[in-house]
Amino acid sequence: MSNKVVPSIYRAVIDDVIASIRPAFEEFGVADDVLHELQSKWESKVIASRVADFEPPQPAAPHHPYPTLPNANYGISYVPPSPAQSRVKNEPPNTGVDARYALATAQYALPPLPGPSFPGLSANTLPFPASLYRLPQTDGPAGSEDDDDDDDDDLEPAPMPRTAHPSLPQPAARGNPKAGAEDADADAEAINSDLDDSDTENEEENEEAQPESDIVFCTYERVARVKNKWKCVLKDGMIHTGGKDYLFQRCTGEFEW
Amino acid sequence: MASAYYEFYRGSSIGMALTDSLDELITSGAITPQLAMKVLQQFDKSLADTMVKQVKAKTTLKGHLKTYRLCDDVWTFIVQQASFKMEQNEVILTPRIKIIACKNGDAIEAGKK
Repeated sequence: MSNKVVPSIYRAVIDDVIASIRPAFEEFGVADDVLHELQSKWESKVIASRVADFEPPQPAAPHHPYPTLPNANYGISYVPPSPAQSRVKNEPPNTGVDARYALATAQYALPPLPGPSFPGLSANTLPFPASLYRLPQTDGPAGSEDDDDDDDDDLEPAPMPRTAHPSLPQPAARGNPKAGAEDADADAEAINSDLDDSDTENEEENEEAQPESDIVFCTYERVARVKNKWKCVLKDGMIHTGGKDYLFQRCTGEFEW
Repeated sequence: MASAYYEFYRGSSIGMALTDSLDELITSGAITPQLAMKVLQQFDKSLADTMVKQVKAKTTLKGHLKTYRLCDDVWTFIVQQASFKMEQNEVILTPRIKIIACKNGDAIEAGKK
């Protein structure tokens, strides 16, 4: 099965990159332990993404599914990280986070959050928490203008973590609902305009967010169409769907438009 | 021939894990962006070579083609109600999946050799 092969392929890629890039590190005068750090960071991120069932580094690990690691109390059930990997997890959230990896970052960012409001974190679908994460942001500004201020205080903390991650996809029309609401207040039609705004905003976000959740990277050998019937031959693909990765050498696609 | 390898696999799970790791190392000052670029180029090459050498799985995909687009030799398909039929009758269903496919050209093949 193509998901079973993922760990060995990914390990082979990581090992090959690390081995092949060593001369460049020497050339740049970068110490070898930085290269090891890169490797351990990379491996731990791949494992934490849970795109496949990676074998834990220690064979004893499966017998202790709940090790007394500092982050074990978050209720996250990914593969127990090795000591080298838990070191990585204590580091601050990095920049350049893809939506799929917002989950991983969200884990690190959990302590400052007001409450344990991510019950879906351990779900198989990685992008799900990312979309959860996004919701308070889009609703917040719109609601904060025309609702009473008490609700504001409740909503206030939710957008905060997001601003701490400038690299995350920010809602494009973030300032617009506010402006729209102010205009609408003058017109006493706040509800309608706000609904319109948030509707279009959500649609745009779904358009942007969903392709990231289920995606295939591949090459094509042949794409043909007869009327509305499409046939294509795809090669060397990486499928990411339902939080899992699958690989194929060749994929025959048949679609109806 | 490093430039003959596609960069778009960097958007995959393993590629994003690498770019995130590199970002952290750049932010902490451990490596320069130039070295990170070299690592990414090596990743493009290693991934393509490993995929060609080691991945043998074949699959079929059926579904409703919602959107298709060909731009600069890159096909983009958005397939709804997609079902991947893997080997050993494993079937994976997804309501919506985006396919990004770069051309599998002779230039790329030559670069892999």
